[in-house]
Amino acid sequence: MVAECVTGKKVLMKGNYAIANAAIKAGCQCYFGYPITPQSEIGEFMSGKMQELGRAYVSAESELAAINMVIGAVSTGVKAMSSSSSCAISLMQEALSYATADQLPVVLVSVMRGGPGLGNIYPSQGDYNQATIGGGNGDYKLIVLAPSTVQECIDLTYKAFYLAFKYKNPTMILADGLLGQMMEPVEFYDYPYPEIDTTSWALSGAKDRSARVIRSYAPLEENQCVFLDNLFKKYELIEQNEVEYEEYMVDDADFVVVAFGSMFRNVKSAVKLCREKGLKVGAFRPITLYPFPSERLNSLADKVKKILVTEINMGQMVRDVRLAVNGKVPVLFKGKGVGAMIDVETLVEEIEKQMGGV
Amino acid sequence: MEKDFIIAGFGGQGVLLAGEVLANAFMLDDKKVTWYPCYGAEMRGGTVNCGIVMSEEEVSSVQKSKADFIIVLNQASFDKYASWVRKGGYIIVNSSLAKKSDNQRDDINYIYVPITEVAQEKLGNIKMSNIYALGVLAKVSKLVSVESLEKALYNVIPPHRKHLIPKNTEALKLGYEYDLLKV
Amino acid sequence: MATQVFSIPKSLKKDVKYSFCPGCDHGVAVRLVAECLDELGLKENTITATSIGCSVGLYDFIDIDAIEAPHGRALAVATGVKRANPDKFVFTYQGDGDFASIGWAESMHSAFRGEKLSAICINNTTYGMTGGQLGPTTLLGQVTTTSPTGRNIEYYGYPVKIAEHIALSEGTAFSARVSLDSVANIRKAKAAIKKAFEVQMKGLGFGFVEILSSCPTNWRMSPQQAHERVRNEMMPIYKLGVYKDITA
Repeated sequence: MVAECVTGKKVLMKGNYAIANAAIKAGCQCYFGYPITPQSEIGEFMSGKMQELGRAYVSAESELAAINMVIGAVSTGVKAMSSSSSCAISLMQEALSYATADQLPVVLVSVMRGGPGLGNIYPSQGDYNQATIGGGNGDYKLIVLAPSTVQECIDLTYKAFYLAFKYKNPTMILADGLLGQMMEPVEFYDYPYPEIDTTSWALSGAKDRSARVIRSYAPLEENQCVFLDNLFKKYELIEQNEVEYEEYMVDDADFVVVAFGSMFRNVKSAVKLCREKGLKVGAFRPITLYPFPSERLNSLADKVKKILVTEINMGQMVRDVRLAVNGKVPVLFKGKGVGAMIDVETLVEEIEKQMGGV
Repeated sequence: MEKDFIIAGFGGQGVLLAGEVLANAFMLDDKKVTWYPCYGAEMRGGTVNCGIVMSEEEVSSVQKSKADFIIVLNQASFDKYASWVRKGGYIIVNSSLAKKSDNQRDDINYIYVPITEVAQEKLGNIKMSNIYALGVLAKVSKLVSVESLEKALYNVIPPHRKHLIPKNTEALKLGYEYDLLKV
Repeated sequence: MATQVFSIPKSLKKDVKYSFCPGCDHGVAVRLVAECLDELGLKENTITATSIGCSVGLYDFIDIDAIEAPHGRALAVATGVKRANPDKFVFTYQGDGDFASIGWAESMHSAFRGEKLSAICINNTTYGMTGGQLGPTTLLGQVTTTSPTGRNIEYYGYPVKIAEHIALSEGTAFSARVSLDSVANIRKAKAAIKKAFEVQMKGLGFGFVEILSSCPTNWRMSPQQAHERVRNEMMPIYKLGVYKDITA
């Protein structure tokens, strides 16, 4: 049973349901989706709830169609979303490129599973690159938010709708199969952000104003250069204003472990154990994968001797951490292709081994 | 200090639901808790288990390869999970569907309970096996009360099935009354 | 006092240079769409999803709110617009490549779902904008830049009969095939477009019009020859008519 999400009441809930419920409370008017494990609960829940609330729900013929339906809905200034996973997020890359060019507030939930290809339904963090670099054409960025608890699934879903509209940029919630399927006590609260006025750009019919066109076709070279300059000024603004991260015991640390999403949970308890052993270890978690907390990592690199990146993939975030610290300290990697998060004992062993030389 | 629980059995034995009741009970007791399911590749009839982690502080690792308390409702789960019990931990075995082990570990506690038979004979429905087993767990672990588990039933059982709550409460109590000395 | 007998439809932009090739039927089709929007009083309440191909420029000529959909996705985008705004009038304007090749799934499923949308598809038996390659509607025997010896079944399979397929869907309220090769047919085409719009306005289901169109540039013909081809080669295969009309 999906617990009823009464504001202020603690309920035990799966990450997928938490995201779905938060989207509804954030005022999402339309959900478009196609089933894929491990996120199908989102669409299942939405199918009933949206109809009950008189909002829009479409079982799309494909993820391709689903994300384009989102584009259509948000082009009219309405909050809308889709959710999917890995190989099917691949199908949406074209539309994400269009949505960034069209500057549309698309919200997309990506609940990562094993890849490449069909892969499997075990948890994974293998779509870090897909989310932060993307597979669509041209110069663009998605805002990417990565929760590590079910409560944060709610917090960041709210935030995703807000940032998407604030910056008119597609925003992705990057969760994983573990977070989607696990239950944890959560507390709902009302959508905390201001509503963004969309009347200056949303399509509504050309009544008492000239017609509007939302388009990305740019036949003139110079116009497209100006457009991209402006787009990247927007990204600079996002990088200045929206970086979010979590730190744990980094103040006096010689050694910092960097992880995002579910993996950070294990990292934190490994750090705790290391501290009990007298090792000066800290942990760092980017919450916004784009904008990446590069500046903060760079200043941490002035104090620590080594950084260990740990992820359930083959080292995708390592590149961003290395770029951030720019050679100041060695950036090591401990990863695992897919499945259960690396267990705490293994992490402690790895930290002890790597700290040998610190 | 984190305490880890695993409940395992066939699909259809109510393993996930029992785990959800246990996790809700911990939540109602103001503990930090996580629940995480693991299915076989099959949607029905395959093996299924869920892990519950209870803690006073924030729960770290959701999936562990060791647990303090494990309930196994069938032979396959018993075979798989006996080695997962932490030293000094407990394994509650449904002896209706799993044979007593010939080479028992001497560093853990085995609790054999004919769960399916009791559910059938005393509760009149083998579907009560899962909740009955939770009652046994409450007694063995001393980490959760029958009262909290009963309250948790209201969170888990959907409104249109509320009439099933008294029977489930009875199952919890009966499980809790199981005479551990008999083992 | 002079009586005005001709004017530019309100739904068309004024003083715009049309980028369609000389003799191309797109211009006539766009005008018919604009006239229907005017006559049904829809201009201020309409959002259109345009497509990729020669039809992409619709928003340069038509004076209504528009969003440019990725190639083949016009009806998915339109579905999103309409579901979010059931009170708006929403239509797509697509070519045969967009509608019946890359977007076939979106097109058919919009019809299956009975979306309250209207779709106009220009069928000129080729990919016009990219220089005349073989498309889903290219006729058997037709020479294109990617069927240099003519479309044969072994390599290319059969051409798609769009209006007939759309008519098979239970969610379709109206499906017709029209042509712009003569004044009489242009009149019929306008009536069909209007009907496809009206079924949406009445909430009856999916409205569809396939418009046979000339492409003198890629067919390497004069406008007159191109219309001859529409009549002599296309119409025997793509028969004009109303394939479904639930209001009839």
